Amino acid sequence: MTSKSGGSAPAPRERRIGLSGRSKITPGSNRIPSARKLGRAALFLVPGLAVYGTFLLGPLIYSARISFYDWNIVNPELSEPLGFDNYSRAIGDPIFRRAVLNTIAYTLVTVPGQIVLGVGVALLLNQAIRGRSFFRVLYYLPVITPWVIVTLLFEYMFVGQGGLVNWVLRDALGVIDHNILWLADPILIFVPIHLLGIWKGVGWTAIIALAGLQAIPQELLDAANADGASPLGRFRYITLPLLRPVLVFLTVVLVIGGLNAYISNLLITDGGNPLDLTHFVLTLMYEATFTRLDFGYGAAISYLLAAFVFLVSIVQIRLLRQRVEI
Amino acid sequence: MTTSIRASRRRGKALTYLLLALGSGFVVVPFWFMVATSLKPQAYIFDIPPSLIPQEVTTANYTEALGKDLFGIYFLNSMAVALSTVILTLFLSSLLAFAFARLEFPAKEKIFYLLLLGMMVPPVMLIIPQFLVAKNLHLLDSLPGLVLVYVAMTVSMQTFLLRGFFEGIPRDLEEAALIDGASRWTIMWRIIIPLSRPGLAVVAIFTFLYAWDEFPWAHVAIRETTKRTLPIGIALFQSQHLTQWGQVFAASIVALIPVVIVFAIFQRYFVRGISTTGLKG
Amino acid sequence: MTRRTRLKVALAALIVLTTACGQAADTTTTSAATSTTVAPTTTVAPTTTAAPEPVTISYWHTMSDPETAQLEAVVAAFEDANPGVTVETTRFAYDDFKAALLTGIAGGEAPDTARLDIIWVPEFAELGALLQLDGTMPGFDEIAAGMFPGPLATNNWQDHYYGLPQNTNTQVLLWNRDLFDAAGIAGPPQTLAELADVACQLSSGEQQYGYALGGTYFWAPAPVFYAMGGQVVDEGVTTATGFVNGEASLAAMQMFSDLYDQGCLSPNLLGGGVGTSDGHATGLYAMITDGPWMVDIYKGSYPDFEVNFSQVPAGPAGSTSSVVGGEDLVVFADTDQQEAALAWATYLLSEDTQRTMAEVGMIPTLSGLAGDGSLPAYFDIFMQQLETAQARVPHPKWSDMDNAINNAFQRVLRDEQTPQEALDQAAEEINSLLSQ
Repeated sequence: MTSKSGGSAPAPRERRIGLSGRSKITPGSNRIPSARKLGRAALFLVPGLAVYGTFLLGPLIYSARISFYDWNIVNPELSEPLGFDNYSRAIGDPIFRRAVLNTIAYTLVTVPGQIVLGVGVALLLNQAIRGRSFFRVLYYLPVITPWVIVTLLFEYMFVGQGGLVNWVLRDALGVIDHNILWLADPILIFVPIHLLGIWKGVGWTAIIALAGLQAIPQELLDAANADGASPLGRFRYITLPLLRPVLVFLTVVLVIGGLNAYISNLLITDGGNPLDLTHFVLTLMYEATFTRLDFGYGAAISYLLAAFVFLVSIVQIRLLRQRVEI
Repeated sequence: MTTSIRASRRRGKALTYLLLALGSGFVVVPFWFMVATSLKPQAYIFDIPPSLIPQEVTTANYTEALGKDLFGIYFLNSMAVALSTVILTLFLSSLLAFAFARLEFPAKEKIFYLLLLGMMVPPVMLIIPQFLVAKNLHLLDSLPGLVLVYVAMTVSMQTFLLRGFFEGIPRDLEEAALIDGASRWTIMWRIIIPLSRPGLAVVAIFTFLYAWDEFPWAHVAIRETTKRTLPIGIALFQSQHLTQWGQVFAASIVALIPVVIVFAIFQRYFVRGISTTGLKG
Repeated sequence: MTRRTRLKVALAALIVLTTACGQAADTTTTSAATSTTVAPTTTVAPTTTAAPEPVTISYWHTMSDPETAQLEAVVAAFEDANPGVTVETTRFAYDDFKAALLTGIAGGEAPDTARLDIIWVPEFAELGALLQLDGTMPGFDEIAAGMFPGPLATNNWQDHYYGLPQNTNTQVLLWNRDLFDAAGIAGPPQTLAELADVACQLSSGEQQYGYALGGTYFWAPAPVFYAMGGQVVDEGVTTATGFVNGEASLAAMQMFSDLYDQGCLSPNLLGGGVGTSDGHATGLYAMITDGPWMVDIYKGSYPDFEVNFSQVPAGPAGSTSSVVGGEDLVVFADTDQQEAALAWATYLLSEDTQRTMAEVGMIPTLSGLAGDGSLPAYFDIFMQQLETAQARVPHPKWSDMDNAINNAFQRVLRDEQTPQEALDQAAEEINSLLSQ
């Protein structure tokens, strides 16, 4: 080994997992012409990008085409071109606007909920306690249970006439004197939907956060301990900053997931009930496409959503990357 | 160590257990409910008020659900599809992640963002065009066809994840190897991959779960009864006017077992991987 | 270690890829019959040149377990009678059936034949996905003439028929005898006015409701709506004005609104309450309206519960009515086995087949079978009700119309609008759908 390798080893503080800064330039790479660089990278890029391009990017572009037509699925060549009509129709549609608000509210509630609880669980699971593996599997159970099943369970618990939740509130705790019709109210119906979103995602968030916690050098925490730092201080000044890249990753992925949520809503609201006030963007898209056979409109809605998700994600990644590198 | 520190540690541990147990309660109640329901005869499934302990326990739902002609085939199909998806995704996303983490090439970040698009678009919007592609490539009614689409759908997310893991690996080892004349390919397989076991374990878990549970695509792409996967089979317990919820829950619990096993195996590996890679510092 | 891992990964990937290619090739050449144990009738005629080319036709459906089993017997009999023709059946879950069909149509991979929910036929016909049966199907007029008019009407779109009713159903009144006895009420109500009276007599707070609907979507109030004399649009399907907001429709809406305000109609219809089938069997709902499948549901879930059916109570004009449900048989336009597909369709609609399927609870669509002694006894009440039952509006935009009425109903129950205001708005919305 040359002394070089020792010298360039990064200090533990800079180590990160999850999303991190741009890669540094490898020694000597500047001298290689870019065509050759691309050729060398092709070996790594082509297999994955070929599959991705064929089955995802291609269909995505095709779907863009659909969004500009009154699409005829039997004879696509007979489709009537509409320009941006499907898009302007969506933007002017009060049901779509309401769906956007509902989707954003869902994201704003469930993402912080999952992160706070997930990191909390990860902190608990990161301790040297007995039965750690058992608890890890236990907390992961909601993640692996299919959406359809857990949605049904939540719906059943929130049945308005004598469901489990009403029973607890009315008969066990006595805080209400009449049954609440949770699923008949355009606002209250989001209680089970939001709770379900958090409940199902905590285990996933915890696993990622746990991986991040385990990458934090123990000696740093030990040193802080020896200096007499309180557990809260250790968390605030050591764990949290070092966990930031992981939190970035989690936020990006969970926000994408939140904006794209639809199964629980589709099953609980049964297509925007009551009064078309409870749609998410994707349930509206699903309904437009597969119930009303309005393919162009459905495609336009999904494009609006995808564009929004893309922008939000890029902004998040950019912003948070910068902060990581400070 | 003084006694006060030890005492506070013990108290901390007790608190940890208390909190974990409390959290477990919230996690487990709906889940327990599912198990209890799968053990109830059809007549008691939707009791009001709900009962968490079945008064009458029966395994009929299990025997009936598992006894259906094709349940075993659906299970094997799902297993083959999920395992193939995991292997292919691990392979392809490792290659991609290595390129983005360690190689320099033109338009790198642009290509990366293009790839990230894949984790942002809602899968349902792609179904009809994907169907056209699969049809032209003769990949309808084919399990490998499912695998390829699943890989395409998940490779973005897994590459994103692995790129982070790869970038977290100190460069000093590779730099030494580079000077010794090793190729990028060798560096990836000899240094990066072995050091990234935790990341690969996470990718394996997520991918398996995704492929095992995927419904919308498998539902439209597979029309031959014998090539269907488990989620499609379970959906068939629902008919228009009557859903055999006990059987749906029983079958879903059976379907959970492989996922729990995969998770239980990999989460251990995950921890050991981290402790042996020297990432501890 | 690392070398071995690398090899393993590379190998595995290779295996996946090669099987992918191999399998892809497979599917194009062989199309194995999936409909379980079908005797290979095609191999019988070995050398004769006149033997018809063996053909395979596909048939998609959403039948239940027992129905699917019975269907296999029908398929076997059809194949015996038609050497060289194989029927490949595929079962789908109802909730996702439409998506599978639409995707198939988009890819030119629709099945040859299918059994669709009756309200989808005009939609699929409008898309151009279905084969027009009048004029192409041998003996169409004769077959159509033998069918109940209500179910037949669901296949009509722009003066042509794009399907034929395969099985039908309707809703009747279900009444819980124990609750009636306890309240000293002799029997089920005969008129809608009586229904309202009895419903209130049988209601007590949150413990018991006289009447319950499954929701506010049109299917739920439809029996009472039609019995009251209500209509959604005119006969020519040109306008909703004076129909959905006509006098009789308003009376039906007013009746529901009053019952709800008096606590005689369960609030579950707003969403998220106890389902009507469970609520009825457990004594929470004294009366509901529902279909023939309730017999099997109660047999499975509440074996001790005695199911009592009665005709939908008569409206002010003195006549009963209800809503037509069921499934239609369609042939897809891009089938390349039109002849065999039509033969299969004809076979499914034959008297023998209809009788066979009736054994598992499917109500025949042939009016000639009404009162037939070989049919299950509980069919009688439904087949009687079918004589007056009406089809929902056969229009591609029906699901939007349904939504307009659903929302009007919700606004009335929530006291946001009077029945008149709500139905006026619904009429306007439906008119704009009709003019598209």
